Amino acid sequence: MKSLFRIFLRTPALVALFLIAPAVTVRAQDPRIQLSHLDHLATRASQTVDVSVDERLIQLAAKVFNDKDEDEAQIKKLVSGLKGIYVKSFEFDNENEYSAADLDTIKSQLREPAWSRLVNVTSKREGNVEVYVSLVGGTVNGLTVLSAEPKELTVVNIVGPVDLEKLAKLEGSLGIPDLGIKSTKKPKDEQ
Amino acid sequence: MNEEYLWDKSGEPDSEIQELEETLGSLRHQPKRLDLPANNQETNRRSYIPLVAIAATLVIAVSAGLFWLSYRHNQHQILTTTTTAPVAPTPTIPEAKQTNEVVKSAETIPPQVAVATNRHRRTMTKTATPSKEAVLAKEQLMTALRLASEKLNLAQRKTQNPSVNQIRNQHKLG
Repeated sequence: MKSLFRIFLRTPALVALFLIAPAVTVRAQDPRIQLSHLDHLATRASQTVDVSVDERLIQLAAKVFNDKDEDEAQIKKLVSGLKGIYVKSFEFDNENEYSAADLDTIKSQLREPAWSRLVNVTSKREGNVEVYVSLVGGTVNGLTVLSAEPKELTVVNIVGPVDLEKLAKLEGSLGIPDLGIKSTKKPKDEQ
Repeated sequence: MNEEYLWDKSGEPDSEIQELEETLGSLRHQPKRLDLPANNQETNRRSYIPLVAIAATLVIAVSAGLFWLSYRHNQHQILTTTTTAPVAPTPTIPEAKQTNEVVKSAETIPPQVAVATNRHRRTMTKTATPSKEAVLAKEQLMTALRLASEKLNLAQRKTQNPSVNQIRNQHKLG
């Protein structure tokens, strides 16, 4: 009787485990992070950029790109496999408008093993820049850039396979201003 | 027999003729008002039914056409409202920082916009000119990519050249 009771008790637990475990695993592998915690900063910010483009909109936008144009074709190829791009950027008139707790809400979602920190630059004067990547099977499945400057807070979350090199090279093409960040970078006309 | 009587009833009538006249006199034409039977009137009324049916069909067709036109007009207004929503600001240009605008999410686009009323018409629109939703999505996408690229390069620059602050300060001093 006791063993029968154990079987009856154990079976639903195992079934529940088999049902819940894949869902938890999928959630853990999902490189999308929640940015809604930062929405309250919009009231203090002098400029807010809030971009939320899901897979459907990316596919819709991809149809607008001109394949004959080299730059647009390159961008179309870059975004073709993406499942979403989510950006929140706040610019403030004064410093210290956002708190460490605001950053923690983002950083708490960027922990190992799902995420690996690729770059961490800390500067008291210019703020911090952190780049996180989500790796699945050796390939980049997601990217998050967290830039916390004294008067600016920017979080970029890209879901899906993304080529970091190509993404970095986008600056300077298609109306994206080349800020001359890389000293060795030549203008497009000279290439 | 007096034939004149047969022509114009003049002269003396023949007795045999008079007898025939009296016999057939009851059948003589008597002018009176024509009264049509009731069944005949109903038949005439029934002949209006096809006309009424045709008129009703025309009224229904016109009503349906007006309804369709008003629906199309409403759809066009929704599309126009959506596309006039604030768009992502231009790339990090100094002037853009002076503006105080909040870029709305592309996901806030009403779902009605995505639902087309006519499949053929939707296909024609897509092939002819890109939909406004697609153009808006492209702008959002470009803004996101610009920011991502900019921040990546910023991280790369700071990693490769950590003493950039010193250089900048020296430049200011010099």
